[in-house]
Amino acid sequence: MKETYDVTLPGEAYDDLVGKLIVIEGTDGVGRSTQIRLLKEWLEEQGHAVLDTGLSRSGLVGKSIKRAKVGHTLGRITLSLFYATDFADRLENEIVPALRAGFVVLTDRYIYSLMARAMVRGLDPVWLRNIHRFALKPDAIFYLRIPVDELIPRAVFARGFDYWESGMDLYSTEDMYDSFRKYQTALLDQFDRLAEEFHFEVVDARPSPAEIFEKLREGISRVLSAPEAPPPDVTAAVSAASSAGAPNVAAPNGAVEPGPVRVLDSSGRSEDPRNKAQV
Amino acid sequence: MKRYGEHRIPGRLFVVEGIDGSGKSTQLLLLHQWLKAEGYGVVFSEWNSSPLVKDTTKRGKKKQLLTPATFSLLHATDFADRTERNIIPLLKAGAVVLCDRYIYTAFARDVSRGMNADWARELYAFAVKPTIGFYFRVPLEVAMKRIADARNGFKFYEAGMDLGLSADPDESFRLFQGRILDEYEKMIPEFGLTVIDATQPIEAQQRQMRQLVLAKLTQAKQLRVAP
Repeated sequence: MKETYDVTLPGEAYDDLVGKLIVIEGTDGVGRSTQIRLLKEWLEEQGHAVLDTGLSRSGLVGKSIKRAKVGHTLGRITLSLFYATDFADRLENEIVPALRAGFVVLTDRYIYSLMARAMVRGLDPVWLRNIHRFALKPDAIFYLRIPVDELIPRAVFARGFDYWESGMDLYSTEDMYDSFRKYQTALLDQFDRLAEEFHFEVVDARPSPAEIFEKLREGISRVLSAPEAPPPDVTAAVSAASSAGAPNVAAPNGAVEPGPVRVLDSSGRSEDPRNKAQV
Repeated sequence: MKRYGEHRIPGRLFVVEGIDGSGKSTQLLLLHQWLKAEGYGVVFSEWNSSPLVKDTTKRGKKKQLLTPATFSLLHATDFADRTERNIIPLLKAGAVVLCDRYIYTAFARDVSRGMNADWARELYAFAVKPTIGFYFRVPLEVAMKRIADARNGFKFYEAGMDLGLSADPDESFRLFQGRILDEYEKMIPEFGLTVIDATQPIEAQQRQMRQLVLAKLTQAKQLRVAP
């Protein structure tokens, strides 16, 4: 049983979502992707099917967002709506079907990052909360928190300054370092507020990756052992996987109507969301 | 972010709304010609005109990838792009901006597709409130008759085929447009739309429209560009 932030999309019923939705939030360079990789392995060892997903990975608009960011062509309201479209597409075509099939969905950021980034850019908090009201409430939100002074060496020495992560669209007169510092400070401030409002579980991201992993495992074990949903229908999941026709790939959305296979571009590369889910 | 009704900018924004076959585009074209001839700095802003978002929308429609939610959000994205890069700068520069369809089209379509009405309205809270929003009211049968000759079948989303109302595109179109008409009727008082009886002769409608527009322009003489 899952619910949204008060807006339900047409044709959706969420009372049969037996999987768990787990969000890993945190600012840039805090180590989210490392943790997600570790968690996925660990969960799979435990016998849980895992879908990992993240921002701008939808078949519908993911590539367009990336193109827009390269050219820095979109306005702030427009970019927020583009991200919301991407999120809606992934929610309906990946996340909900996976939860219905009993997967653990690990998502690298969620609507909170979208709101934090847009609020730093001066968008209306009420408007931002509204556009994301159709999102499913996660079973847990782990927020990897780090003070800006400790973030800087990590982010910068690991991969250099990035235009967007430095908020250069906001502080274009500053150099990348000053801009990065200002932007990430503002972002952390927004995250701290959201942490209270949306009940994040704050995880100190300063210790070693192994120690953070330990904390996350504890938290996730607690979520997974929480009494609630009956086990997913194994026969349905198996027959759905075999009808998907792709070897070694389970089809979370095969449990409902098999969706159309998406071909993104003329090169014929298939972007079927099913291919991202592995058992 | 300025919200609907909060923008204080010197230009004037006139928009036309109504179902397909209501004659709104014809009326807007005539208004455009007249304003140009009168020497106003007038710009026509079209729906779905932004290249980057347009490509995504086009692909989504062609491959029928869109749900009511993504249909709604993509159109809002496109409209935001147009508002941020086109409509607001033009209005700041003092132009008379004309739009064939506006946020009310989105509300009518989205709610007809089952989206939450309050959510949809807040989604477009960044839109500039038009100086006048014209609604061309026409009975469904009249509109259907007008477009029957003009085109060759309906497109998938245009006919609301994604809603499964009917397997027959013509019938689906009729049912979907009926829902849209109901939504427009609700919006007339809600947004103070100016109703034009679109069953009148074209000339009569245009006279009425010009009179209403002129009243809003005389309050802003500086809009007239030097010949």
